[in-house]
Amino acid sequence: MIQTGLIQNAHSDLVTDASYDFYGLKLATCSLDQRIKIWQLDEANGTWSVEDDWKAHDAAVSRVSWAHPEFGTIIASSSFDRTVKIWEHSPDAAQPPTVNGNGSTSQSQPSSSQWVERAVFLDARGTVRAVEFAPRHFGLKLATISTDNFLRIYECLEQPSLATWLLSEEIDIHALPSSSSVHSRAHTVALATPTQTSAPLEGASPSLVAQALLQQQGSASSTTSRPGPGSREADGGWCLSWCKDRYWGEVIAAGCGITGIIKIIQLSPSRRPTTILVLDPSPLAVSNPGHPEADKMFAVTTVSWAPSCGRSYHLIATGGRDGHVRIWKVKPAAEDDGEQGDDAEMMNSDETGWSASLVGDFDEHQSTVGRVEWNVTGTVLSSAGNDGRVRLWKAALGGSIWRPAGSIGVEQSEESGTQEGDKDDDMQS
Amino acid sequence: MGAQNINLLPPLVESGQFEQLVQSGQTISATTSPYDNSLAVFLSPTTVSGSNSNSDREEPVYFASYDVVPSSERRLFIADTQVIFSMFHGMLESAKSREPSWIQTPEALELMRKFSVDYVNFIKECWIHASQPMPRTDGPLQFSADHYRSLYSCFSLFVVLYLPEPGYEDAPVGEDLMEWLNIHFIEPSTEEGDHLSSLDRPWEDEEFWPYLKRVTLRGLTKASLFFFNTLLQHPSEDLQDLVRTIIPIVESQPRLQNFSAERDFAFASRKWKDKVKAIRIEMDRVPEESRFDDFENWWDSLSDIVGILEGRNPVIQRVCEELGADWKEVCSAWGIFVDSRLRRQDLVDVAAEVLEIMPADPTNLEDMIHSALFSGKPEQALRYASQLDAWLSAHFADVMEPLGLLETDENSESELSKRDEYVLSYAEYLHSDPTQWKITIAYMYSCGDIGRERGDEILVRVPLRLHPSEAPSTPEEAIAQAVKEVSEVCFNYQREAVRRTVCRIAAQTCVRQKDYGLAVSYCISAEDWVSLGRVIDSILDEYVHNGAAEFAKQASKIAPSVQELQSRTVSEAIFVHRLIFAVRYSQIHKYKLEQDFVSAASDIVTLLREEIAPKSWWPVLLCDSVELLQYGSTLLFASSDAAELLSKLEEISIRASQGSGDDYLSVLTRTIKGGGEKEALERLKVVRLALARYFARCTIGSDRHALST
Repeated sequence: MIQTGLIQNAHSDLVTDASYDFYGLKLATCSLDQRIKIWQLDEANGTWSVEDDWKAHDAAVSRVSWAHPEFGTIIASSSFDRTVKIWEHSPDAAQPPTVNGNGSTSQSQPSSSQWVERAVFLDARGTVRAVEFAPRHFGLKLATISTDNFLRIYECLEQPSLATWLLSEEIDIHALPSSSSVHSRAHTVALATPTQTSAPLEGASPSLVAQALLQQQGSASSTTSRPGPGSREADGGWCLSWCKDRYWGEVIAAGCGITGIIKIIQLSPSRRPTTILVLDPSPLAVSNPGHPEADKMFAVTTVSWAPSCGRSYHLIATGGRDGHVRIWKVKPAAEDDGEQGDDAEMMNSDETGWSASLVGDFDEHQSTVGRVEWNVTGTVLSSAGNDGRVRLWKAALGGSIWRPAGSIGVEQSEESGTQEGDKDDDMQS
Repeated sequence: MGAQNINLLPPLVESGQFEQLVQSGQTISATTSPYDNSLAVFLSPTTVSGSNSNSDREEPVYFASYDVVPSSERRLFIADTQVIFSMFHGMLESAKSREPSWIQTPEALELMRKFSVDYVNFIKECWIHASQPMPRTDGPLQFSADHYRSLYSCFSLFVVLYLPEPGYEDAPVGEDLMEWLNIHFIEPSTEEGDHLSSLDRPWEDEEFWPYLKRVTLRGLTKASLFFFNTLLQHPSEDLQDLVRTIIPIVESQPRLQNFSAERDFAFASRKWKDKVKAIRIEMDRVPEESRFDDFENWWDSLSDIVGILEGRNPVIQRVCEELGADWKEVCSAWGIFVDSRLRRQDLVDVAAEVLEIMPADPTNLEDMIHSALFSGKPEQALRYASQLDAWLSAHFADVMEPLGLLETDENSESELSKRDEYVLSYAEYLHSDPTQWKITIAYMYSCGDIGRERGDEILVRVPLRLHPSEAPSTPEEAIAQAVKEVSEVCFNYQREAVRRTVCRIAAQTCVRQKDYGLAVSYCISAEDWVSLGRVIDSILDEYVHNGAAEFAKQASKIAPSVQELQSRTVSEAIFVHRLIFAVRYSQIHKYKLEQDFVSAASDIVTLLREEIAPKSWWPVLLCDSVELLQYGSTLLFASSDAAELLSKLEEISIRASQGSGDDYLSVLTRTIKGGGEKEALERLKVVRLALARYFARCTIGSDRHALST
């Protein structure tokens, strides 16, 4: 473990999310300051410099996600202003296109920004907490989740222009799997008329102005009508993560509110979305009656689906307000439906044949876990908690036992300069 | 490899005080990089309410890597040993085409031994390089010389014990072991020898007898004979007599290498042992009172030496303990003196017996690896090796598996064999240096399906541009070269899916840089017809946005691809069709620029008549024809051709009046700034007028008709 770099002054407020592009050469950061910044790595010396910086939303930006590069250089951002926006890197946009000028503040788009707003989704009736593009084989598609407890899936219908998106699924997480409550709305989100594919070069179009106004109203009303950080929102967690594999079709893990569970939801063009499995640690807690947390529900704040990379099973990590990092081993339905796990902790979904077992449960953070994430090969898990440490986890030889593999903090070292093995430290400050 | 737990600089809070930050609504968060083994770490809000924005702060983003990136000599070491690894795997690959039992043949074992010896020699080179006190242009050493010495001693012991020369598997191992010990753990030191040999009466030095015992134990005959000879000057005549007997015996100790048959060696060894026994008898005759000189009891020391030569196990063990030698020395001496016919398979029992009394040093990984190898526990050796250096465990495991030392079964949980787990763990460490991606994937691709898929994740993320240090070139050239490089690797490892993804990404990048020629060829290479369609649309858009000249220039670049596609039997004919249209349409504009109006006119008609042009482009073609219809001196269209133009015009007008105008007029509409369908239809009226005039000219000046039908 070794520090390799530093951006001294990345944002003027807390950073809500950071996300590497496909190659890891660019980093998108977003902040409470409502801005998105794009940083570029200089491979020669390992330093990061800001490439773009713009005001993206009218409230704090919650997450950013990069689309697969075969679709272009595209990011999606979700925000507390209840919108999700699609941005495209367009070096041609030499003159700052006015479509970006949606802000009600005087802080205008810096002329340097080469990112053009291509679409805005206004469907959420709560703050949007997470956004993630689907794996590339499912097309240019993204999932969002918001505090209205809806998981929404959007699909791009007009690819080079990115102007037309279809809200292909709108799923009430709590209501699923009682299928009656699933709203499968297949209408086109008319964000722009077809004539506006060339809009960025031709100035603001009436509908986009209207849209900006609408949005302004929306955000204004949301600030007035927002019940403040009520206990529900403060205690809840909204998160999602796509299954990276193609083989199993479109499958997504999502959690919302304070239920403490993650639902594994299968999307299919021909059927309504169905919950194929629920990851619920509470039966395990109940099985231990003396446990003080047995009856409480704790929100899951973060979920990450590991790339399976040739493994026959999936690993899904969760983190939550109970201070636990959990690693679930999820087995898809066996083709021959032969042996079923006799593990007492095994959760089976009778209808779908998918099953899950807990292979790791760590409470080292001792406080809310805010984020879990896998590396690209699904072999290293990182988790960050309110104990102020980012912890790494790796499987020991044999793969069945997960172990701590180091941690990173931002506290003053107890005896600075005495960290063993850091003699090769090539830190830049 | 660096501390397990670190704190980043500059610190944001006093030690143990992170709770203060949490109280003020801040917490830590991180994201992992796909580029290397690093994370970006930043401070996040614990909860977000609408109004907690405070724009006066300076929020940093930190970067930390969980592996220390290889640098300096380590990079060289990694790159060069990978060459041996690849050759070794080339051999294993070719073994697959042979009998399954071939891998156990002397021929195969000889090759495996050769590659392993290559590793040993290379580690040795690296150790020597690291030991030299010299200025290092590529930065300070990342690993100490002592680290490479450890690797050297471990790998060469592995070769001695598990990869003997073919045919010598059952030969006594003692001398090989002692040679290994003498190379890696030099005792007694040369300085001691130099010091003692400079003395007139070396036996008066307190180091004399320990030195002589050690050289005897180590079988260093030259040194021991030298000092035995000095003892001929010793005041004690008893000692002189004994030494005179001992010298020829030490000189004549049978060495395996001097015998062609082991039987003869065994016979000679027995005879030699009998001679040693004779010394013992002679020694016992020396009366007690004569066994001292002025300094110490020479007899006891000599007795120890004779005890060693006799192969008395307790004596050897005791002497080793007194000399500060460890279990390795006892085991090696065992193979020389106690049981000169000690075989590799029997060494396990000897090592167990010795280690029982003189255990290995648990704080010394190198010693633990040695003891596991001596004890015939390759898996244990791997576990310790992985703690010492992931390189060592990976390369050990890689050789151990074909030797049959490791189970090849997959673990039911990790779904990997032991070998693959160690190799992948090393490969993961290599990923900390993204510039070494070729090496990283070489190891990953040697590890079954899981390794291949992990390798794919690395390979597909190789940036499609050259390293900044290389010769300046245009972005297009850089992409072309990078794609070529990655494609070659994909081809070598047969990773077609990765190649196609890389081509798709490259095509997308090229479109953005308006390099349509490359974009089209990448789409074709990826057999991605949907994207090909989009690229063609982008090219046609050039016409809409930037006019005919720019369009003709861009479209001419894709012309070569048309021929390539036509030579294939492609099922996705529709995209080929569009591609052909784009190319031929650009050709029309080229004709116009070259003032070849006859060809331009005939091509317009062909595109319409054969319906190569999509309906949405008909109006554009018709508008293009106006200029030609009005061309002064000659009639460029045959009347039947003009009729064809008119019929298309009619179709458009009728369909537009029926409400299907969008199908026909969308492109033309886009070329008219701020225009709609109405303006487009206006534009077509001009065509109608031009056609009417043309027909009139045909009728009047039929004698001047330039073309016949």
